[in-house]
Order: sequence, then C-alpha cells, then structure tokens
Amino acid sequence: MLAIRGLSKRYPGVVAVDDVSFEVAPGEIIGLLGKNGAGKSTLIKMIGGAEQPDEGEIEIGGEVVSIGNPRDATGLGISVVHQELADVPSLSVAENVELGLGYPTLGGAFVNWRKLRGSAKRALDQIGAEIDPAAPLSSLSVAEQRLVMIARSLSTELRILILDEPSASLTEPEVERLLEVVRTLSAQGVAVLYVTHRLAEVFAVSHRVVVMRDSRFVGARPTAELDRSTLIEMITGPALTKQAPVSHRRARAAADGDAPELLRVEGVSRRGVVEDVSFGIRAGEVVGLAGLVGSGRTELTRLIFGADKRSAGRIFVAGEEVRIRSPRDALRNGIVLLPEDRRHQGAVGEFTIRENVTLPTLDQNRTVALLPRPSRRKEREVAGRYVERLAIRGSGVEHPVRLLSGGNQQKVVLAKWLEHGARIFFFDEPTLGVDVEGKQDAYESMDRLAAEGSAVLFISSEFGELLTVCDRILVMAEGRLVGELANDGLGERDIIDACYENQKSHV
Amino acid sequence: MTTVPTQSTETVAVGPSRPRASETLLREAPRYLLLVAFLVTIGVFGALRPSSFLTVDNLKSILTQAAPLMVVAVGLTVVLTMQLLDLSFASTIGLCGALAIVLMSQHGISWQLAVLIALAAGAACGLLNGILVSYFGGTALIITLATGTIFTGVEFAVTGQQTIIGGVPLKYGEIANHTALFGLTNQVYIAAVIAVLGWLLLAQTEFGRYMHAIGGNQEAARLSGIRTRELKALGFVIVGLGAAVAGILLTSSASSSTPQVGAPYLLPAFAAVFLGSAVFKLGQFNMPGTVIGVLFLGVIQTGLTMLNLTTDVIYIVQGSILVVAVLLSRIGSGSTA
Repeated sequence: MLAIRGLSKRYPGVVAVDDVSFEVAPGEIIGLLGKNGAGKSTLIKMIGGAEQPDEGEIEIGGEVVSIGNPRDATGLGISVVHQELADVPSLSVAENVELGLGYPTLGGAFVNWRKLRGSAKRALDQIGAEIDPAAPLSSLSVAEQRLVMIARSLSTELRILILDEPSASLTEPEVERLLEVVRTLSAQGVAVLYVTHRLAEVFAVSHRVVVMRDSRFVGARPTAELDRSTLIEMITGPALTKQAPVSHRRARAAADGDAPELLRVEGVSRRGVVEDVSFGIRAGEVVGLAGLVGSGRTELTRLIFGADKRSAGRIFVAGEEVRIRSPRDALRNGIVLLPEDRRHQGAVGEFTIRENVTLPTLDQNRTVALLPRPSRRKEREVAGRYVERLAIRGSGVEHPVRLLSGGNQQKVVLAKWLEHGARIFFFDEPTLGVDVEGKQDAYESMDRLAAEGSAVLFISSEFGELLTVCDRILVMAEGRLVGELANDGLGERDIIDACYENQKSHV
Repeated sequence: MTTVPTQSTETVAVGPSRPRASETLLREAPRYLLLVAFLVTIGVFGALRPSSFLTVDNLKSILTQAAPLMVVAVGLTVVLTMQLLDLSFASTIGLCGALAIVLMSQHGISWQLAVLIALAAGAACGLLNGILVSYFGGTALIITLATGTIFTGVEFAVTGQQTIIGGVPLKYGEIANHTALFGLTNQVYIAAVIAVLGWLLLAQTEFGRYMHAIGGNQEAARLSGIRTRELKALGFVIVGLGAAVAGILLTSSASSSTPQVGAPYLLPAFAAVFLGSAVFKLGQFNMPGTVIGVLFLGVIQTGLTMLNLTTDVIYIVQGSILVVAVLLSRIGSGSTA
C-alpha cells in the first residue's frame, strides 16, 4: 500500500529525517514511535505533502508518487489528522466533515443540506460514531471532534490514515472508542500510521511498530513479539555513554544541599492541566524538567510565572511566601521566563535589539531621573554590553529582532532578563530550532547563571542535553510530577523510563 | 497578525552588503511619497484657483477647520498604535459638545465648569471602553461600536435631539474662535499643543514605548511585565478626552449644539491616521504622520469645495484616498497581503 524508500529531510543545521525506509500493508496498523524530536513529525509531514523530502521516494500502490502539497495527498487517499484540531467550531458537524470537498448544491448555488448531512452521516456511520451531523461542532467534546476529523478524511477515498497523537487530552473510554474506530478502518483495508507516546495504546491496537530515533529508522517489529522494556530500549537506544556535564565546572555547593532554596513551589495546580506539583530549586542549581509533549511542563512554568491563573498553589522565594498573580509579580520577585515560543511571546519582533533588551528596565534608563523619558544613549550602552557579552549577531543594537536567528533571539530575551537582575530563570526549550553552536551557547549561559548563584529550571525534550547541564531532573507526566532523578551516573534511558513508566495506563 | 514563518524558513540577515545609492533612494522613496503627493495637491489647487487657494486667509481657514479633526486623530493614533480600534469617538464628540451647551444654556452653569464636566464625560466614555475591552476582554471593534450607540443615545436624552441655540456665554465661543498670535484662532493652537503632547507621549516616553510594544506583540509585552491592561484602558481614555476637546471646539465655534456633531469625523479621523502611517515610518502609526494626514485631508476638502465640487464628490474622493493610503502603507512595510 505505502512504501517509503530512503526518505531524508534537512533543515539548516539539522537533519530531521535521515534515510528512512519501511512499508505498510493495506489494513495494517503501524504504531510509529520515537522520542520528541526523533523525526516522526517531519516524516508524516512529508507523507502528508506539507514538507518536501530532500531525498528518497514515496510509493503508493506500487507507484512512485510526488506529493507536492496536502491537496495532492488527499487526492492519493492519504489523510493526516493532526494533534491540534483543524476544524471550524462554528459550523455544523456535517459542514466540517465535508469541509474543502465542495458541498453538494441545488442548482449550483445553494447548499443541498439534505445531501450534505446524508453523506456526512454515512462517513460517521462508517467509523461507528453516533454524532448528529446537524449539531454545531463546538457542542462536541474534544474526543468527538477528533472523530469528526477522522470522518472528514473518509469522505475522500481513504487509503492511508495518519493519526498524530490522536489520544491527547482524551479520557479512557474515549480512547477506547478511538481505538475501536481505528480497528474498524483497518478491517476495511485502510492502512493506519498511529503516532503516539502512549505505549499501552500501541500494544492494544497496532500490528507492527516502527521506531525512529535521532532522525533515523531504528526498526520495525511485529507488536506481538515485543514487550514493554524491549520497546523502550528501541526508543531510547542502547545505554548512552555519558557526556561530560558542563556543570562540573560549577561550584557544586548546591549538590551538597548547603545552598538555600531560592524557589519553592507547593501544590501548584490548574484543573485539567497541572495537578498538585511541588518542588524546589537551590541557588546555584540547574534543574531539568523532562516529560513528553503534553505532560504539562510549559503550563507549569506559566502558572508559576503568573502568565496563567493557578487554581491552587503557593510560591516561596528565598524562603518567603510571595504572591504571584501576574508576570509583573513574578518579575518583581526576580522570576523570569524565556518562553518556548520566542516569536510570539519572547520578543517584540518589530523592535530593535536595544528596545527589546531594555523593555522591562526602561525606567532605569532615563535622561533625567524624574522624567519618564528613555535615554537612547543609555539604552544603547546597556544593549551594547549584552550584544558583546552574549555575542549576539547582527549589525548591532539597532538590528530588528525579527531578522535574527532563533538562537540570537533567545539571547536577546536572556539579555533582557539579565539586565532585569533576575535570580530565578525558567528556560522553556531554549534550544528548539537552534543550531549546534547556539545550543552550546544556551548550555553555557545556564551553567554560568547557576555558577553566579541563580536558580535555573531547564525544560527540554532532548533529554541528552538535560544530562549535560542539570544537577537534578524532574519528570512530569500527564500534569503530575512523577519523578526526581539526581544527575549522578544517570542515562537518557532512565529519564525516558520515568516518562513512560509513570503514565497512567489507558487500556 | 502577520503570518509566522516556520522554524525552517528563519533567515539570518547578518551584515547586509552596502546598498548602492540607487537602492537607498528606492527604499527611502516610499516614505516621502505621500509628502510629495501632498505638495503636488497643493500645487494643483493653487494652479486651478490661484487667486483664492494660495492665500494667507485660506491657509488660516484650512488650519481652523482642521483643528477638531487633529485633536481626535491624535487620540486615535494612540489606540491604533496598540492595535486597538475605537469607533465610538464620533459619538463622544457629539455627547460632550452637546453636554457643555446644555449645561450652560439650560442650567446656567459657568462655561469653565461646563468645559470641565464635558472633559470628564469624555474621559468617562473612554474609561468605559477601556474597562470593557481590556478588563472584560471584549473585542474593541464591537464594544466601541456598541458604546458609540449608547453615547449617542445619551446625547439625545440630554438634548431631546434638538438644536440648542442661545444662552451660551460669549466666553465659551471664544475658546475656539478667539484670534490669537499671527491672526490664527485659538483652536489652531489648542490642536497644535495636543498634537505635540501626543507626539511626546508616543515617541518620547516610556509609556509610548510600552504602547508600541503592546502593538507589536502584546503577549511578549505582558510577559515583560508591562501593564498591558492599564495602558490599553489609558489609550481609550485619551481618545475620549480628545473627543471631548473636539466636541467643545465644535460647539464653541458655533456657540450652539446640533445633534451628532461628531458624526462626520469618523472616517476622516481614520483616514488621517492611516495616511500618516504611509509617511515617515512606513506601516507604523506615528504622530508626525498623523499631522500630515490631517492637513492633507483639510487641503483636499477646501480645494475640492473651491472647485465647486459637491459633497458627493468630496466623499468619494476622501474614501478613495483612505483606500490608497492603506495600500501605500502596506506596500511600504513590505508585507504580503
């Protein structure tokens, strides 16, 4: 049905998918597994026509095909259901099911509602979903909306269905129903690529498992031959040789437990997102926060930072309880966040480096102390210092931030917080989309901050880099803190084990 | 919102090769295109009506007529800088202008107090918008469209939808009409002072920088500890105050109040600010640009009137100018659709 041969995709500075080949038979359900960043997403993007491979070919039904865009993919009977729901909540179920296919009409101008609902109903029946085609989509649960998206892919002649983390944010009975739909489609001859982090689902539904690691194809094995620990080993690879931690250079007072706790959080919660998380970070410590996508890491930092509302939880800075209800409160207490999504949250793209760096500290750069008028000369001095110290590329302090690379934008955000005089730093995926050199810069920044007595929380999906930099690693799964590992002879495997072992079994 | 390129398409623009003179000219030219158009327009009207257009008296009259528009356009520039809309200011103009007249003419209140109350009413209208939009999360477009209707309703309740003449102290009329330095009326100076204040706020203060940050990336601004809600509310209060001043100037020059005196200012105010974003700083709202925009519209209005063109033509031309201005500023900022 589907054959992938030598598929490769490179981005500037990274190889996302490296020479991957495997085949899928009609009606076969393949569990596609791999850590975050293993290349699964890029692979399915190429099959779905959203990205073009640099090398290799895709065969469907024995013919080499070129999938230039998602529309081509649809024409070939390939359908991708993404993790984020890509539908129109204000329209009815039927309208969503048939979206983009050209609605049946009366006399070419008016929508033939009867016919539209009829064909939507047939698609829904085919997957055994009892959903009223006339109901507005917004009235459905997330699980039902996902079923609608699957039904949408049936409206074309479906041959290959790709489900990307389809069980995210579904409850147990809903997952059960989803798996039933997958089995039904498989019985009808549809090949299914089921991408997930949840091993239980893979064991419950798949015929075969394909594993990717570090952009490469690791292996394809019949699910029946595998047990959990073998599978985890395929995902994580053989025990890694430990990298020399950057943190060795640091005075390790923190590790001895002498240093005072700079940040302590107790029982931080937000309904349905983060549940009762408590931990502390000492001065001079870099603490890693590991977890799979959707485990609630980013959400946790936003709750502590005051960017989102907590439903419960207390926060202590240097032993004193503080009230944090907004980012302003957090900043006042020396807590800063370097968000994952730099373009949208970290920096003002239209501003120059100077304007971004001085944004939180503008009132310290006045021409005259009592007048709220910024002195560009002082601002340039401040920004210039950081451009030099952090080696921010570009034409100087007046370079627009939107024209900088990801790594340099990250440095601008860091400069902003260093100037603010923060003591507690949350780095959320600082190396995402950053080249090798930029990554090294980020590690050294964190290491230096800790060496200077700050507390650093480092979120990353690349567990190897957590081992490189962190003293301890916290592990989150499904909104809860499920483990704490001292980085002492620890391997990447241990972190991944903790991530998978602690997820609730759904099947 | 602009489209965000995916990670893979990130470009690093480091050390651009030195641009040639012709390139520099080409890049810089659009910033002054509108200024050139402005001068050409003046030239055309001057040539067509040499005896009446290019005269000191006409200049004075254009400036006087432009004064109320200038005042509201300044406020509008502030909210647009934060990527917010206010469609209610035209109603606020009418409400505040009428309120002052009614207080003096029907309740015998002194002109000073009437002015203060009108200003307070304008600020209150703005504050209501600000609270509804930034604290309750309403969409500015719809909220201000709705509150505008409310404000006009209040105006009608106050005036009984009648034109009110008589019983207005002479002093009130002098607020706008008194002839001051260089034979220009008071309102020209009032408008000039407000434009300078607006420029100082946006271009020279921390608040202005924060407002630009909000307009550029509200979430980044909030996460940088900027009081985004307060500043957005403040923006609406500034628009409300500007509208109150405009209302006072309009009813002061007429020494009377007619219903919905601000209605004709809705489009020209937006037109002026958008025209302004096509000059000096392309694609960005800026106060000097707004001033040019207001004067440009004033020149066109007067010029077209002198050519004995009728209101219908003036409307069509003004609307067309807004369309061209918006497109110009987009081309200049280099964004695609």
